[in-house]
Amino acid sequence: MSWYTLPTGVPWLTLVLVLPLAGALLVALTPGVAGRVIKQLGILTSVITLALVLAIIGGFQHGVGDLHLQFEEALPWIPALGISYHIGVDGLSLFLLGLNALLFLIAIIVTDPATPRLKQFVLLLLILEAATAGILLALDLILFYVFWEAMLVPLYFLIGVWGEGRRVYAAFKFLIYTVIGSFAMLIAILAVAGLNFTQTGQLSFDWTVLVQHPAAGVWQMPFGLGTVGIPQLLFLGFALAFAIKMPIFPLHTWLPLAYTSSPIPVVIVFSGLVSKLGAYGFLRFNLSLFPDAAHSLGGPLAVLATIGILYGALMALAQTDLKRLVAYASMSHLGFIGLGIFAGNLLGIEGALVQMVNHGVIIAALFLVVGMIERRAGTRDRGQLRGLGATAPLFAALFLVVSLAALGLPGLNGFVGEFLIMLGAWTAFIPLAVAAGIGVILAAWYVLRFYQGSFQEAPPEPAGFTEMRWVDAGVLAPLLALIVLIGIIPAFFPAAVDATVKALPVITR
Amino acid sequence: MTINLSGIGIDYIAILPELVVVGTAIVVLFLELVVPPDRRQWLAAATVVGLLGALAATIPLWGQNRAAFGGTVVGDSLAAFFNVLLIVITILTVLISPRFLRALDLDYGEYYILLLGATAGMMLLAAATSLMTIFLGIELLSISLYVLSGFARTALRSQESALKYLLLGGFATGFLLYGMALIYGATGSTTLRGIAAFTTAAASSNVLLLLGIGFLSVGLAFKASAAPFHMWTPDVYEGAPTVVTTFMSVATKSAAFAAIGRVFIATFPSIASRWYFPLALIAIFSLFIGNLVAITQDNLKRMLAYSGIAHAGYILLGVLPGTAQGFTATLFYIAAYSVMNFGAFAVVTAIGAGGEQTAELSYWRGLFYRRPFLATVMTIFMISLAGIPPTVGFFAKLFVFQALVTAQIWAPLVVAVIMTIVSFYYYLRVIVVMLTVPEEAVVEQHSVGFSTTTVLGAAALATIVLGIFPAVVLDWATHAASVHF
Repeated sequence: MSWYTLPTGVPWLTLVLVLPLAGALLVALTPGVAGRVIKQLGILTSVITLALVLAIIGGFQHGVGDLHLQFEEALPWIPALGISYHIGVDGLSLFLLGLNALLFLIAIIVTDPATPRLKQFVLLLLILEAATAGILLALDLILFYVFWEAMLVPLYFLIGVWGEGRRVYAAFKFLIYTVIGSFAMLIAILAVAGLNFTQTGQLSFDWTVLVQHPAAGVWQMPFGLGTVGIPQLLFLGFALAFAIKMPIFPLHTWLPLAYTSSPIPVVIVFSGLVSKLGAYGFLRFNLSLFPDAAHSLGGPLAVLATIGILYGALMALAQTDLKRLVAYASMSHLGFIGLGIFAGNLLGIEGALVQMVNHGVIIAALFLVVGMIERRAGTRDRGQLRGLGATAPLFAALFLVVSLAALGLPGLNGFVGEFLIMLGAWTAFIPLAVAAGIGVILAAWYVLRFYQGSFQEAPPEPAGFTEMRWVDAGVLAPLLALIVLIGIIPAFFPAAVDATVKALPVITR
Repeated sequence: MTINLSGIGIDYIAILPELVVVGTAIVVLFLELVVPPDRRQWLAAATVVGLLGALAATIPLWGQNRAAFGGTVVGDSLAAFFNVLLIVITILTVLISPRFLRALDLDYGEYYILLLGATAGMMLLAAATSLMTIFLGIELLSISLYVLSGFARTALRSQESALKYLLLGGFATGFLLYGMALIYGATGSTTLRGIAAFTTAAASSNVLLLLGIGFLSVGLAFKASAAPFHMWTPDVYEGAPTVVTTFMSVATKSAAFAAIGRVFIATFPSIASRWYFPLALIAIFSLFIGNLVAITQDNLKRMLAYSGIAHAGYILLGVLPGTAQGFTATLFYIAAYSVMNFGAFAVVTAIGAGGEQTAELSYWRGLFYRRPFLATVMTIFMISLAGIPPTVGFFAKLFVFQALVTAQIWAPLVVAVIMTIVSFYYYLRVIVVMLTVPEEAVVEQHSVGFSTTTVLGAAALATIVLGIFPAVVLDWATHAASVHF
């Protein structure tokens, strides 16, 4: 199934990686004083990248190809160690790639032209875009790891330099957390390849090779501590990296600070995309390379994900700072995605994939709105905001749509993913599904309280909150369109990822 | 009476690179007599030309195995690998020297002669296959460096640095020599080949031999500045003229590891179970001390000194498995370390050309706004030293870790991983400091100069390009390591 066929022989995916970097190079060569030109260059680059990614999504043929991978490119990179430049796209990564391009475009558009050192800011955003795209496309584990780590550097600077409050501390805490997980993953990557080498005699870090030979065996622990399954051990190595990035309770403590300290353009891609890369990692590596371990460890992880749903929701209820509120809401939603993934069945995983796109759209819209409110009202404190809707009805209406999507109203996109996840969770762990249901109720509480408190009630005197400008509405428009479209054509995404998910080892075994 | 010399295998081709370097030193010595004092950069030019000649003389050794002079030196790929590395380091050092020396009023021709002497010693060390030549190489490089450390004769710190290096270095040499004597006593041979022939698995309980190896390791670990034999490093690095620190921090370590490779990998593989544990302990010590103490340093030269100790630990990790893969990783790491650490110190040199107090971290505050170029390349070197892709430092660590995983050496690996995370703190702190907005506007000082800019740019570019395409250097390292497997 595809709308058209893209010409073969063009390295489409490499272009997706190279375009933002080329844009970054152009920005780097532009004199720093030309602020408007720099921003326009950034926007132009991300528009072209988005167009390219949309073309790839349109030309993606579902359910064909080896392991359902499309647009594959493979070049030897470090042949002596079986490391290759192998990239490709399948149902797991296709729509996230689209989300990537869209969110970076929005992030650059909403960047304040008065940002100090705008040139470096846009430059780092474009490099970050290439790195995150690389994470989604990489099919070689070392290549993946390179992009995974390379993502940290721009993110670290974006928070540490342009953030607010305790920005350096926030950036540093985030970095240290992430790096701890990364190194656990690196050792697991090396061990996976080493095991495969002893099994097959072929040293390779290629996902398509490793996925054919799931790791097996037990490891005799020293000091007579008993034995532990090697797949379980490796699963945990990868899981640590991804669980920190998502984040899964109790590894979330870096999140509130990092999200709150990030400037709005950064938090849009941070919460909308980077957190999803953790979930994507679970699907791509944990569920594919260690299907048995995924079944045996899925239960405890699903419990943690459910705790995350409830914890995030309760914390969101307790916040007065709107940015922190949305940060915790994001964590709660990520819990749903985790629950779907760890349910380990078709419905849960498809639901998680759909919800990953949905969450990216919704949370980006929420942070955008928070940013707009802060810019207009000069505060993000829930207690000081009231009656904004009186002078800004359009603003209120658009925000209501986003809020309703966030709480999972049927007919909007949030419902589609959450419903599938709940179905999947119900099949796997009934008590967790019930607990997650409570999370949905809490979501309605904190979202509607946010909306009612700040937009309804009587406006303060004088009512100085200005109406939304067309530019702002234009930025929100594609997100709102996606919210509604996915809501009214709920079958589109699940059908599109169906073939890939059905072929996942965790489903087939 | 004629003396028959045919039996000892005179082969000048095998030591031609060393000969060219020594010859260049002699030429520069005489040139200094005729070159007017304000034209001393001609000496630098002559030095570079001579070094390029030595580079050319190295190339024929690639893929060869020319044991010469009674098996005391060898011209093989491993020696060629180190020759290229050392010569390139020296050329880069010479290129950044003149401006720094002039700024500190140290522009004397002896500097280049001593630099060439040290380089010749290091190259000899890399080619040495006998205890005698190892000792010769170490002494040649050490004595040159003792003088170079104190080259800023009027600066008290520099004098202190030289004296400290001399005293502690002399002590280490004592250990080294005593170890060599013991090994000779146990095996009856001074050539590594003869020692290796004696050292079968049965020799693993020969106390005399083990004691000798222990003392020899102390001497070599001292030169590689691995803990707990590192005490001299921070003080000497801090006190020596920065350009000398730049040179010795990478070149001395490389040469020391060449000797460590020749000794442990090539000579004593049959008793690996005996040296594994002490060597692992040295590596772990270096990782702990280097990384943890670096956190508390507010002087960049001292911080980089401790970071160098930590990197000695990583490099040593590659030796532990005793496999071709591990030794390849070691060689790759040495090359990577040379590029990035040279770069980092060269930035300190470029900034220090205005005075020596500039290595204090507080001086670097807001460097991004005063010196965007220097701050950017420094960021690249710091990221690479921390081991974050896409830089060469990442692959260096990756290859070492992979060798450890393959050999199933877990405890040192876990320490290395944890300490790498720790190291992020102090490397990134430099970047944060450079990004912090300065309190007062600092006036732009003297320019960095063309040759320094070129060297820094080239080092930064190499750090990134080798971080994206590491395969070429890895192939060289694989080939160089293969001479002993």
